[in-house]
Amino acid sequence: MVVLRAGMCPGLEEDLIRDLRAADIKTVEDLVSSDIEELAQKCSASYKALFAIRRVLLAQHTAFPVSGADLYEELLSSTAILSTGNPSFDKLLDSGLYTGEITELSGGPGSGKSQVCFGVAVHISHQLKQSVIYIDTTGGLSAGRLLQMLQTETSDTEAQMEALQRIHVFRSFDIFSLLDCLHGLSGGGLQQASVGGGSVKAVIVDSVSAVISPLLGGKQNEGMSLMIQVAGVLKTMAKDFNIAALVTNHVTRSGGWRAAAGPRRVVGSHPQNQSSAGAAGGGRGALQSLLGHADQVLQTAVFHQRAVRPAVVESLQRRNLWKEETGRDRFLTRAN
Amino acid sequence: MYDSWRHVVKKRKKKKKSRPSALFTSDLLHLHPPQLSQEAGLSQQEALEVLQAVRSGGGGASVSLTALELLQKEAETRSIVTFSSRLDAALSGGVPVGKTTEICGTPGTGKTQLCLQLAVDVQVPQCFGGVGGQVVFIDTEGSFLRQRVTDVGGAAVRHCSLLVEDEEQRVAMTTFTVEDILSNIFLVHCFDHVELLAELHLLPDFLSDHPRVRLLVIDSVAFPFRRFDDLSQRTRLLYGLAQQLSAIATRHTVAVVITNQMTTRVRGSQSQLVPALGDSWGHASNIRLLLQWSGSQRLATVVKSPSHADATVQYQISSDGFRDTDQSGAG
Repeated sequence: MVVLRAGMCPGLEEDLIRDLRAADIKTVEDLVSSDIEELAQKCSASYKALFAIRRVLLAQHTAFPVSGADLYEELLSSTAILSTGNPSFDKLLDSGLYTGEITELSGGPGSGKSQVCFGVAVHISHQLKQSVIYIDTTGGLSAGRLLQMLQTETSDTEAQMEALQRIHVFRSFDIFSLLDCLHGLSGGGLQQASVGGGSVKAVIVDSVSAVISPLLGGKQNEGMSLMIQVAGVLKTMAKDFNIAALVTNHVTRSGGWRAAAGPRRVVGSHPQNQSSAGAAGGGRGALQSLLGHADQVLQTAVFHQRAVRPAVVESLQRRNLWKEETGRDRFLTRAN
Repeated sequence: MYDSWRHVVKKRKKKKKSRPSALFTSDLLHLHPPQLSQEAGLSQQEALEVLQAVRSGGGGASVSLTALELLQKEAETRSIVTFSSRLDAALSGGVPVGKTTEICGTPGTGKTQLCLQLAVDVQVPQCFGGVGGQVVFIDTEGSFLRQRVTDVGGAAVRHCSLLVEDEEQRVAMTTFTVEDILSNIFLVHCFDHVELLAELHLLPDFLSDHPRVRLLVIDSVAFPFRRFDDLSQRTRLLYGLAQQLSAIATRHTVAVVITNQMTTRVRGSQSQLVPALGDSWGHASNIRLLLQWSGSQRLATVVKSPSHADATVQYQISSDGFRDTDQSGAG
């Protein structure tokens, strides 16, 4: 449903649009499906011009069929795997976050979802030298914490500042501004964010449920439709721009796993880097449970998916084979 | 006002989507009021208002800032000290401005005391290392005791007057008296959830008019919501409330402190004390503090925080307010 506008394509000028409106042609769809000859008479426009406009619009707005082989080729050449910076995490996810996919983390309050997001953002911006978009919907992002994580990776202040500059933070506290923000990103914001350094490789939304939950339930189903819209935009963005999307979700009723994991959180600065865990005041106990718990979070993420889509687990297993066959050259490693 | 307006516009836009027309605000920008009113089935006046709202919003492009800029901002804002050095250390400097902090605890553990203490502490002048701000105190339980604030405030004034070293601090002390402390507290009583939600809706305007406000206290958020029949509606309202608080905290650089009660959850034959309002509410605040008794000691635990490690510290409530267990380390 794209409304016809002046300047959309060459030849489509203000006068012509007015004439088209008068003939009840308002959207691209209307124009493409109308009889050009009849329309040319009605609007007293040249048949040739209208025909050309239609061809351009069709080229702009049509989805072209792609053969499976081409798709596979493209997938192999364009997919990048972003390491999360935590070895056991990477193992679980088959070496990391895949671009073009949405990865969801779910867990109870204080289980470390945000910490994982911070870790991923820091790793991608520092080790992989790529830009990251971080959309914060709860106000939980603390740059001090990011710096703390960076300090365990490098002691070079300049490198730390550069890494921080590659993390672009958006703050939106309701679903409309989140949608606005996502639309803005796919319509030019991503390129803008890439100007300063590496291209944008990941979009992190922490948390997506915080803005959707106030609308869900009850008698109106508006919330549902908005939720689907958010998912749709994220998916299109992930595919079109080849970026990995990482979102967090809440667990509302903590089940047995929470009790098993104990009231522990991922403390220490980076899931991988345990050195400052003691400095952060976590002590030995926290240090030991660090990796163990990080695993736990992700297992629930997979468990969560398994309940919804059994196929996901299967495809994850299959991906292992695929990975070995296609070699490791696709992995995004250090840029320098 | 603007936010709610935007809501209306978006809602109307949604309505229109069933017809072949605009999907985004950018599609509306080039329309004329008569065209819009015809297409969307709105009156001319409504169409005009919608377009004005859309245009003043400027397409609604969100502003981004890099983490580096965020870090600089964070470095500029001070935290609110609690007058308990151990709790300050656990929270690396006190209750952070710009974040939401939830204080949970059973009756009598000192939730309200900590709130009153913070309401006084936020006013400590900047030359003493304080924030020098004002406070909005939303009281839903009727627990705000003026006499107690006078005690706590008097103790804070005494404490600061002992620290005076230079001329600047001497001047600052003249405007840091118990009367000033009381006059910088904006007290709001809310007796049910409707009043509370309405107050929060009006608060952004109030905060714009009073830019010195650095602390918002809601004591307690649980009380108006605990007698609620429709649980799904309660969850929805609470989620909305949480998002509003996050927005207020970030946009107005205000520390939001809310208190919550505890409840017993029975699972099988075991029972456990957990914060009230359900598991989903646990996601609402950035930082969660748990106050509890352990034998004869009072303990404060940082249960959840994106930037602090778990920690448990001892504290006591004296006639002067919220303090460390040994008096010497206070302040």
